[in-house]
Amino acid sequence: MIRSRESTALSLVCLFALLLASLAGCGQATQTPQPQPTATSPAIAEPTATQPAPTAKPTATQPPPTLTAAPPEPTSVVIVIPEDPPSFNAIVADTGYDALVMELTMLGLTDIDPEGNIFPELAAELPTIDNGGVVVDEEAWTMEVIWKLRQDVQWQDGTPVTADDVVFTWNAIADPDTGTWMQGIDYIGGVAKVDDYTFVISYTGIYPGYLTQFGGEQLVIWPAHYCDAEQGFTAWDCARAPMSDGPYVLEEWVVGDHMIFARNPNYYKADKPAIGQVIVRIVPDATVRKTMLINGDADVDMWTTEPIVFDLKDEPNVQVSISPYPRWVLRLFFNLAAKGTVDPVASPHPILADVRVRQAIRMAIDVDTISQQIFYGYGTAVWTELFRPPYGCDIPGPKYDPEAAAALLESAGWIDQDGDSVRECHGCLNAEEGAPMEMELITYSDFGEPMLLAQQLIAEMAGKIGVKFELTVVEGSVLWATAEEGGIEQLGNFDVDLWDDGYSGTDPTDFLWELYAADAAEPDYGWNISRWINDDFNALLDEAYTLDEAVRKDVFCQMAAILDEQVPSILLFSVINAEAHSTRLEGIQSTTFDVVTWNAEDWSVK
Amino acid sequence: MTAYLARRLLQTVALLFLLSIVLFALVNLAPGGPLAGHGQSRHVRPERAAILKRQFGLDKSLPLQYVIWLAGNDWMKVDADGDGVADSYGTRKGILRGDFGFSFRTREPALKEIGQRLPNTILLMAVTMSVAILIAIPIGIISALRQYSIYDIAVTTFSFAGQAIPEFWLGLILILVFYATLKSPFSGEPLLPAGGMYTLGIGFSLGDRIKHLILPVATGALGWIAWYSRFLRSSMLDVIHQDYLRTARAKGLPERTVIYRHALRNAIIPLVTLLALDLPYLIGGTVFVEMIFSWPGMGRLYYQSALQRDYPVLLAILIIGATAIILSNLLADVLYAYVDPRIRYD
Repeated sequence: MIRSRESTALSLVCLFALLLASLAGCGQATQTPQPQPTATSPAIAEPTATQPAPTAKPTATQPPPTLTAAPPEPTSVVIVIPEDPPSFNAIVADTGYDALVMELTMLGLTDIDPEGNIFPELAAELPTIDNGGVVVDEEAWTMEVIWKLRQDVQWQDGTPVTADDVVFTWNAIADPDTGTWMQGIDYIGGVAKVDDYTFVISYTGIYPGYLTQFGGEQLVIWPAHYCDAEQGFTAWDCARAPMSDGPYVLEEWVVGDHMIFARNPNYYKADKPAIGQVIVRIVPDATVRKTMLINGDADVDMWTTEPIVFDLKDEPNVQVSISPYPRWVLRLFFNLAAKGTVDPVASPHPILADVRVRQAIRMAIDVDTISQQIFYGYGTAVWTELFRPPYGCDIPGPKYDPEAAAALLESAGWIDQDGDSVRECHGCLNAEEGAPMEMELITYSDFGEPMLLAQQLIAEMAGKIGVKFELTVVEGSVLWATAEEGGIEQLGNFDVDLWDDGYSGTDPTDFLWELYAADAAEPDYGWNISRWINDDFNALLDEAYTLDEAVRKDVFCQMAAILDEQVPSILLFSVINAEAHSTRLEGIQSTTFDVVTWNAEDWSVK
Repeated sequence: MTAYLARRLLQTVALLFLLSIVLFALVNLAPGGPLAGHGQSRHVRPERAAILKRQFGLDKSLPLQYVIWLAGNDWMKVDADGDGVADSYGTRKGILRGDFGFSFRTREPALKEIGQRLPNTILLMAVTMSVAILIAIPIGIISALRQYSIYDIAVTTFSFAGQAIPEFWLGLILILVFYATLKSPFSGEPLLPAGGMYTLGIGFSLGDRIKHLILPVATGALGWIAWYSRFLRSSMLDVIHQDYLRTARAKGLPERTVIYRHALRNAIIPLVTLLALDLPYLIGGTVFVEMIFSWPGMGRLYYQSALQRDYPVLLAILIIGATAIILSNLLADVLYAYVDPRIRYD
């Protein structure tokens, strides 16, 4: 009995000791945030046991104090996001949260405003043929772009941002061991410094997206004197403890909890940013983020979804900024090759290889009803890839007409003779006689409930014209995995898939290649998962690689017309791109060309 | 006992080795993979996927990947630049030398990722389990002593409800009540915070820490209270009908002494074992509570790693969790022998 008593007591003592140790440990380790930057405040909080601050080279973690100091402002705003940014280097993981904090702290050569206009950041001006910044060799079909940098931009330690930083960044990206892939990388022959504020990018072909290649929402210029080239572009410590040349500096990062940014006193725009402190809080649950907005404990909710926007519409303290142009378009991808194969010629899909079937399914889907009933009316009907500036094309939208859809299926040899409400092949092009019109409709679970409801509604609408869909839901990491990993789409193991996609930035060329080029139909070589091969389209894609904007517009609209006629996929409607924010916050503007902090320096608080 | 312990520890090593193979295979063979699109990238360009594959070491065969994960690759030449020629020694040391690799997502060492979350989870779970035990023990005792009384029926109903209510639902309801609705009569601020570990900008305050713990602990503890109290009730009922209790009463011992010195001491032995077996929860955390209350703990890290197929972090959590489970089982056996003199391991 004595031993028993000792044991019980020991257990309880141990438990409470553990509890007290945890409490005490956290208490010692937690650092009080320093709300305002001062000339002597370090850029990054010191690492501690429970609050490991990002680390970098010992000499780099504490940049020297800046020479000028802006007067402290008492203003502070809180942005809530569901997960930590993986780093400040958005191109590595492309979660959007990395771009959010990157835009607060770092500058690229250029950026894009919500209307799709490209504007210079580090660049002194946008190089064009007219101003002599772009030189095209018509014979060799190559080009050179001469960039001039602003001469008044400094890193937070006072070191000027120069062409050396650009060359350093390019070399790090292009390193075959530790670098990464970026759009148009294959076109770049080299980046050479001319003087401290001038450099030349040589292209091995004509690359129309050159203006935003080292800017936009994915790429910034990294400090050569601070980042460790040995660690490599994708893994260097300076991506977690960045040295800022943007409006804010990172002051503290408690992983999983919050990040604190203070005004960069060395920012080249002396009167900006207006807000002294930006706090990014990690709040995984959308309902909690919404409640925090309503209660005034959060100022910005990044990427607010339709149900939350709807819930917030009558809240007096909250407004919603909606992007002028959407990006993500809900769409149905048809597999033109038989399920489990990737060759649409040798093994055409028994049902979907016939373009009339694809056109009929498009006519049977009531896009407005899905948008209204599931997406609270915030979806905007979209029927062509080229729907937004600068390459919006005038393609007439398809009409919802189930009767005409049914008639088209009849004419294609799909008739319901046995009266079971599912059509069978009676003289159709590719299926066996009598084969039922049954297919699998797959979507991904990560998007959430609206996508699953849309899947059900689409199946219901298709059922009305005698097309039966079996519904399947998988994780995105299964749907989009490589062929080697068993990816459903890369292996062609689907009939019809439903998900959302869209291109970033202003240049759709790479996106169109990726989704519709013949070469991209090969597994693990591209994302032409429809296995749609069209020679005219491929020829137009080649023509799109020109700097003549008039030609490009014409070429893109010709492509849009082919896609509209051939229907390798059906574009339905765009989902909302919006940020809910407190009414006290002014100057905020949601955008699909970037993340919401693209203009954080212009924000102010009432 | 020493021989027994030595034998068990040896078995533990063998078991962990087998587990490492099984876990590595399960994680890698699960559908999908880390090269699929996440975040903004619905689809990853094949050129990018090829680079990632090489950087993540996924270009090797699965058995070789396991060997590297276990024993590192600093003793073998690897093709780091993708030119098809193995020209430099690798940098990985392997888990046997404490290198669990780097997170595919953040490129930070997996152990660092875990180290950032572990203390937070231990804090939350230690408080949750302590509160659960402190409440469950009296509930279980009274429930057993007053079997079939209104109190017992009420507690039984509460227990079933406690086990049945999903944590994510209860957590949101508590936030709506104590954060969104009820305000402090003094400051007008919400009565309790919606989440996080502490209030930013006020420095360390024990009261503030406790305020932030109340809702997540209440949400997490409810199920434990129900579980432990039912267990103790059942255990007490077994004991109080034993002959030695009748003898104790016949000796004229006061009822309080009979219950607390003779009945509870024996009834609590299985609960001690149960507690030891539950110790892995201290480091495993709880996904729903951490998600709802924005608690930066292991549960969230595990969920995120699983969803994004961050193999190194996922495997590190699983291996550490498995080790904790095996050791807690060993601890439970040892404790059992310690608290119950009838048990001997020879």
